[in-house]
Amino acid sequence: MWPEVLPTFALARPSTVDEAVDLLSDDHVPYCGGTELLLAMRAGLLRPEALVDLKRVDGLGGVATAEGRVTIGAVSTHAEIATDTTIRGSLPLVAEVERGVGNARVRAQGSIGGNLCFAEPKSDVTTVLVALGASVSLRSPTGEREVTVEDFLAGAYWTVREPDELLVGVHVPVHRDRRGVYLRYQTMERPTANVALLAEPAGQVRLVVGAVGEVPVARSYQDLDDVDADDVARSVDPIPDLTGSIEYKRHITAVYVRRAVDRLRAVLGTKTQP
Amino acid sequence: MTTMHTERTVDVNVNGAHHTRTVPVRQTLAAFLRDDLGLTGTKLSCGFQVCGVCTVLVDGRPVSACTYLAVDADASTVTTVEGLAEGERLHPLQEAFVDGFALQCGFCTPGFLMMAKALLDSCPDPSREQVVEHLEGNICRCTGYEPIVDAVLAAARSARGAEAVGE
Ligand SMILES: Cc1cc2nc3c(=O)[nH]c(=O)nc-3n(C[C@@H](O)[C@@H](O)[C@H](O)COP(=O)(O)OP(=O)(O)OC[C@H]3O[C@@H](n4cnc5c(N)ncnc54)[C@H](O)[C@@H]3O)c2cc1C
Ligand code: FES
Ligand code: FES
Repeated sequence: MWPEVLPTFALARPSTVDEAVDLLSDDHVPYCGGTELLLAMRAGLLRPEALVDLKRVDGLGGVATAEGRVTIGAVSTHAEIATDTTIRGSLPLVAEVERGVGNARVRAQGSIGGNLCFAEPKSDVTTVLVALGASVSLRSPTGEREVTVEDFLAGAYWTVREPDELLVGVHVPVHRDRRGVYLRYQTMERPTANVALLAEPAGQVRLVVGAVGEVPVARSYQDLDDVDADDVARSVDPIPDLTGSIEYKRHITAVYVRRAVDRLRAVLGTKTQP
Repeated sequence: MTTMHTERTVDVNVNGAHHTRTVPVRQTLAAFLRDDLGLTGTKLSCGFQVCGVCTVLVDGRPVSACTYLAVDADASTVTTVEGLAEGERLHPLQEAFVDGFALQCGFCTPGFLMMAKALLDSCPDPSREQVVEHLEGNICRCTGYEPIVDAVLAAARSARGAEAVGE
């Protein structure tokens, strides 16, 4: 039986990004929906001295479009992103993926920033964001830097974020003529494997396989016909766990890559929005 | 300078009644509702956002009270299963669950009712697929899910019917 009470900690409620960033340290960690953090604390895996609540910080939410990309505020919840009209219009694949994250309570409570910063390997959000070439803005007391999501994710539960950095926003480039599909295989709360496959109008293809290994793996091809599912399955580095062995996960990867190729072919044939 | 607190005062409306209490920041909303306010209709099981028995609405959004801090409900409106019935009159969802035998032991029922309420409040006419998708994160160990889905659809129909009659 898990302990019903959480360990003791303090809570800070800053109202500006500057205040929040000034509070951050190894022992003073960002806190948003708590759908990862509070669970890890209850399980005794993390024991921060203080949580810095981001939910009442001005300017960390919302969705905005500028210079060909959509910026999603760090504290935006999965439910908000799934139903946002800008996202649905410009990034329908993101809306589709967000609509299927976890369960309705996780979607109402969990944020995109928390998803990225926790770097849980079994994430849907990271897979689609890597596929779309998204990046994140990180703010520290000394300034702001931008890192691609691909580079941000360093390993399982590990990112390049420094303890005093706050993820403030996620930038997703918009390409109107791009077509894409997303498939996930899931038997428990989180995906066992997921595949995002995108086609540029010129024919190039970008494939990302997530959830099986520590971080999503991206590959590019000149043509959809070049995608070799068995080769992709050999190249991933699965983590064996209760959802399957290494061999099994390679098998699932090949099956889902093949299905993604078929699905994308159908989408391109009918020219419908994904 | 922002200050750190291990205790905070929450000002929260629960099922229409106002409460102002000072609570440890580590206290979950489930513990606050059950232990401090005596509202034991909200159940606890997994403690990990997985089973849904602890579902309550905070400003209309469904959350897992097992892993939601009571202090985060500050300045909010919380609805629990105790807030559904009006006196002796059951909520249409409760009626439908009883009529449709959508419960056996009843342990999961408060969670399913609150989850279903969240859906019907924003989507009064859901398809079967929408109901199934929305309830996916709730576990019932007895009933099998069909009667529960049927009951939610029946409640949606009866609520729409009542509205039409009222017009
Ligand atoms: C039952 C269940 C099912 C789930 N299913 C899925 C799924 O199918 N697919 C999926 O992708 N995810 C899934 N998740 C993961 C889900 O928890 C995350 O997607 C969620 O959004 C995390 O956000 P949060 O706001 O709750 O983060 P928190 O728990 O508040 O924080 C998580 C971590 O990120 C840090 N952090 C948070 N925000 C910031 C920020 N802005 N800057 C810097 N650091 C920050 C915190 O310090 C902490 O280390 C599931 C979770 C649960 C509990
Ligand atoms: S007890 Fe909260 S989700 Fe299971
Ligand atoms: S009725 Fe017993 S768990 Fe659902």
